[in-house]
Amino acid sequence: MASSFKQIEDKLKTEAKKLLKTGQVSVVLAYGKGYDDNHPMPYIAKLPSDADNIVFNEYCTHNLARYLVRYPKGTKIAVAVKAADSRAVIQLIQEEKVKREDLILLGLPAYGMKNSKTGEIIDSQTTCGLYNPVLYDTLLGEEVHGQPVVSPYDVLAQYEAMDKDARFEFWKKEFDKCIRCYACRKACPMCYCDPCFIDQNNPRWGEKSPQSHGNLMYHLTRFHHLAGRCIDCGECSRACPVDIPLYLFHKKVAKECEEMFGQASGMRIDDKPVLVNFRVDDSDKILE
Amino acid sequence: MSFEPKILGIACNWCTYTGADLAGTTRLQYPQNLRVVRVMCSSRINPSFIFRAFQLGADGVLVGGCHPGDCHYNTGNLYARRRLAVTKKILEFSGIEPERFRVEWISASEGNRYAEVVTEFTEQVKQLGPQTKFKISR
Repeated sequence: MASSFKQIEDKLKTEAKKLLKTGQVSVVLAYGKGYDDNHPMPYIAKLPSDADNIVFNEYCTHNLARYLVRYPKGTKIAVAVKAADSRAVIQLIQEEKVKREDLILLGLPAYGMKNSKTGEIIDSQTTCGLYNPVLYDTLLGEEVHGQPVVSPYDVLAQYEAMDKDARFEFWKKEFDKCIRCYACRKACPMCYCDPCFIDQNNPRWGEKSPQSHGNLMYHLTRFHHLAGRCIDCGECSRACPVDIPLYLFHKKVAKECEEMFGQASGMRIDDKPVLVNFRVDDSDKILE
Repeated sequence: MSFEPKILGIACNWCTYTGADLAGTTRLQYPQNLRVVRVMCSSRINPSFIFRAFQLGADGVLVGGCHPGDCHYNTGNLYARRRLAVTKKILEFSGIEPERFRVEWISASEGNRYAEVVTEFTEQVKQLGPQTKFKISR
């Protein structure tokens, strides 16, 4: 039996208070109250008394690994991680953006997270379909067991079966909705480039105003930059104000990378991201 | 008038570009649809070059590099192989014909092969017709 959200919240509060009091960490990244219960916000606790403001409920979907790269190297940080978030942390460790010894990971085994926009339960349709953190120091609550195992890539089948012209029309329609608010980039734990390629003026990679061709350039290049790094948390699509199903494309690229290079992103600390690595015996077939 | 495709060729300085040179000096015939850009290594190619080429009206993109293991910089084309494989999958899933993008390994001594590949690829793109999906309409 998995722990309830209230039990996990209480444990998270105690743990955060303890860590801040003993000075083991200088900040704790967790969730706090938003404007109502359905919209909690990321919350940064810096004092032991701040720990009382921490909340955790089924709408705490945000990927807190996003905020790790904002701190100078060497800052001791405790971060509350759900399943996909812990994969993001592993991926950041692989990319040497953070060090394992600077982090204390508070694992949150959570089943039944809900999308605060639609109220739907988040499962392998839009995310990686894991409910227990992959890497943690302390697990706050009991592991989730007994959920049906569904491949996160099952949802792709209907899009892969589409005719290529129909698929192009589908993506064109979706990308044309984009208003270039860059919420996907802001929500993504892996999008930490400064400056982002789309903000550069020389060379100017793509149009910056929300036009069809600029949107296509931005999104396709972003999918490419996240190839083999996207940990499938689905936060980009939940952050999107116009509901572009970005997770579909990310899943497709992740699936292809896994098939071609035999390595899923963010599962082991010692792995190297697939596109900064190679094997001499990679097959030329992957180019066909 | 029949359709003459515009094809962007991106060739590695050490192998494919020298191979193209050899094809020229041995006076081999091949179609003129290819516009070649020289880069120092196939791993120099940013995938955005390819997306951008399609947006600016290329009907096909041909990338040439050294054979794996023969890279002038030892490992450049091994990185490029992985990267361009992902580019191809992205182009495919976005709905453009993946046949418009091709990666070939052509060494400096393979002038014949260069001419063959260019002829074959030009024919293939000709069959596909003009590329209108990515092209920016002005």
